[in-house]
Amino acid sequence: MKPTIELREVTRRYGDVVAVRKVSLSAFPGQVLGIVGPSGAGKSTLLRLVDLLESPDEGKLLMEGEPVRVDSPKATEFRRRIGMVLQRPVALNRSVRNNLAYALRIRGIEEEEVFRRVDAELKRLGLADRSMKNAKTLSGGEMQRLCFARATVFDPDILLLDEFAANLDPSNVALLENQLKTFVSSGGNRTVVIVTHNLFQARRLCDAVALMWDGSVVEYADKKKFFENPDDSRTAEFVKGEIVY
Amino acid sequence: MVTTTGLELLDVTLLSLYVSGMATILGSAVGIPLGALIGLKEFGGKGAIKTITYTLYGFPPVLSGLFVYFLFSRSGPFGDFGILFTPTAMIIAETFLVIPLVTGITITSVVEVDKNIKETVRAMGASSRQSTLTVMREAWVGLLMACMVGFGRVIAEVGAAYLVGGNIDGKTRVLTTAIMLETRMGNFEWAMALGAVLLAVALCVFLFLRLLQEREML
Amino acid sequence: MRLDWKVALALVLVAALIVGAVGYVLLAGEKKVLVLATTTSTYDSGLLDYILPVFEDDFDCEIDVIAVGSGAAMELGKNGDVDMLLVHSPSAETAFVNDGYGEERNAVMYNNFIVVGSASDPADANHSANVTIAFEKIYDNGTVGDCQFLSRGDNSGTHAKELTIWKNLGLNVSNFDDWYVETGLGMGDLLDMCEEEDATTPSYTLSDDATYYQRLSENLIPHVQIVYNYQETDSLLKNQYSVIVLNETRFPHINHTLATEFKDWMISQEGQDLIASYEMYGQQLFYPNAAGYTPSTSSLKSQTSAFGSEERSVAGVSIPVAAGLKVELPLRCDRW
Repeated sequence: MKPTIELREVTRRYGDVVAVRKVSLSAFPGQVLGIVGPSGAGKSTLLRLVDLLESPDEGKLLMEGEPVRVDSPKATEFRRRIGMVLQRPVALNRSVRNNLAYALRIRGIEEEEVFRRVDAELKRLGLADRSMKNAKTLSGGEMQRLCFARATVFDPDILLLDEFAANLDPSNVALLENQLKTFVSSGGNRTVVIVTHNLFQARRLCDAVALMWDGSVVEYADKKKFFENPDDSRTAEFVKGEIVY
Repeated sequence: MVTTTGLELLDVTLLSLYVSGMATILGSAVGIPLGALIGLKEFGGKGAIKTITYTLYGFPPVLSGLFVYFLFSRSGPFGDFGILFTPTAMIIAETFLVIPLVTGITITSVVEVDKNIKETVRAMGASSRQSTLTVMREAWVGLLMACMVGFGRVIAEVGAAYLVGGNIDGKTRVLTTAIMLETRMGNFEWAMALGAVLLAVALCVFLFLRLLQEREML
Repeated sequence: MRLDWKVALALVLVAALIVGAVGYVLLAGEKKVLVLATTTSTYDSGLLDYILPVFEDDFDCEIDVIAVGSGAAMELGKNGDVDMLLVHSPSAETAFVNDGYGEERNAVMYNNFIVVGSASDPADANHSANVTIAFEKIYDNGTVGDCQFLSRGDNSGTHAKELTIWKNLGLNVSNFDDWYVETGLGMGDLLDMCEEEDATTPSYTLSDDATYYQRLSENLIPHVQIVYNYQETDSLLKNQYSVIVLNETRFPHINHTLATEFKDWMISQEGQDLIASYEMYGQQLFYPNAAGYTPSTSSLKSQTSAFGSEERSVAGVSIPVAAGLKVELPLRCDRW
């Protein structure tokens, strides 16, 4: 099976700092891939590369088997099929409804269709009663729900989540994770990549997990193997929570 | 001897609003897109362009008037249009004063927009054009401020208006040139009264725009 | 596209401005227009606001008056931005016509220059046989630091006149010391400055009488007095106004017909009488002197004042003319 996303020996530097070091990784359709690791390991940078927001300094990025350059029109095309929730979610200075509608409008979808889907999505996420309010007035949990909705309302093939539902109370976390599960199981063979430092979350949601350590991927295995019988010693310690970072 | 009466006062005030209003609209139509472009795109010489823009904040209005005079004088390149000593010439001269101001403030406003917004929008799949427009919309409070400052500058200027308008009674006399005339003739109280009217007009305009700003910031 | 109320409001504003613009242009377009450049002192005297409406009515037209400094008015003429000039700088006007910018100088009216200054008159300019001597006294006094002279310094008619007087004495103003102050101010502003300076240093200046009387009537210059007034024999102080129509060959776009009609009207009996009838601050400000003008009896003015009257010769006919002020201020003018 061809991977949806493939990174081949990708390196990304910021000045002297090497954030991502010769990483090779693949995500497959119908799969939820988790990327875990200590802070500063380069996880977010990796996700940004995958979302075509930045260019790798070395190595290749392939989407559905084709190499893609970040500035090309093809990149914009792909980005339209990728939904991304950033680490610090921000909303546009307009109503909740219009924030969601924005994602659909820039794809040229007609007004009537836009609002049909938006209203349905808001209902699903329990934000219907806030729909006309300015999005900046939402609470932390509501904001994350909005950003998740914004990333999925246009039915993306690929979903990227950076620190999914981080810093939320358990009920909000549960709500969002259920939404994600619904999204994954709604068919279409979607590819999901989650960056998280929460091991429990990784275990709950992912099919395969990769461990990033100081810019490199030191372990990449399916869930069972990753948690029970990893190759790398660091993985074993990380999983047991014995690494303090 | 006082030269302005009640009805003339109305005339003069309306013309002031018209000339400065048009100049602000035209200047903003140029300055806002220009400022957004400079603020959001990367290109060589960007720093120099920004410096020049900010320097032009201090461009003397009378110099703008002189420049427009040379362009539209009968002995100048565009003299045949015959727009010297008409409100049109005044609008042109004042537009040149509005553009750098609106451009500069727009640059600052769009640059100030949270980087995360720019990223989010891009991540959502917005094209370059859509992204720019969205950022401009996010910065709308600043853009409105840019227009207000531009208007403030031209409603109060007299050098350009006098030079290219000629302060013709009933045709190109605005509040500022009327104040100058009354002052020159020693009618200081009348001049002050006209000044008060000008401030009152400016107050109304800015109050209205402030209300617009307030309503958005829920 | 969603049309929220803000966008709608913006569109309404823009539409209103466009309607205003179109309406303005349409309403303005009908009448013939004549553009006249004149000096600020001429305009500020109010004469034009008095006589122009008569012409505008008779000839169904509009006259746009642009009042700027004398030099600027001539420049506007040289650039062809106006149709005609009404100015008072004889030498500049002659050059203007000789260089082909204007058709000819037509004398229209005159008024007088006066020397004004502090009441203390340290230079004793008052007791002078003519204005040249008065200036000489001011010069002598100034060079020893007892007074100062304020100059227009702006190439206006008044400034040109002042320089002529200094030249008659064989003096070059560029060699003068600090007692001679070149300001670049208009006449009214310069008189105001004279008033201010009077508190510290006795100051003199050359002024036209219209602006002086205007300032005086507004009670702005209580300390500035006439120290030397014109004399019948002192032609130097005559401030001659002329009207010049621009050269049609050189500036084919000008409204030559209407300009000529206005010129002819100004030097006609009707125009001249009208000029003579203009009064401000209790005074006739301008004395018509177009070629061949004789005042009609209905325009005779016979005002007496506390200072007596004086006769003036205009085209050979004597008319008694008021030469004092209605305002009650002590004028130290021993000439009467």
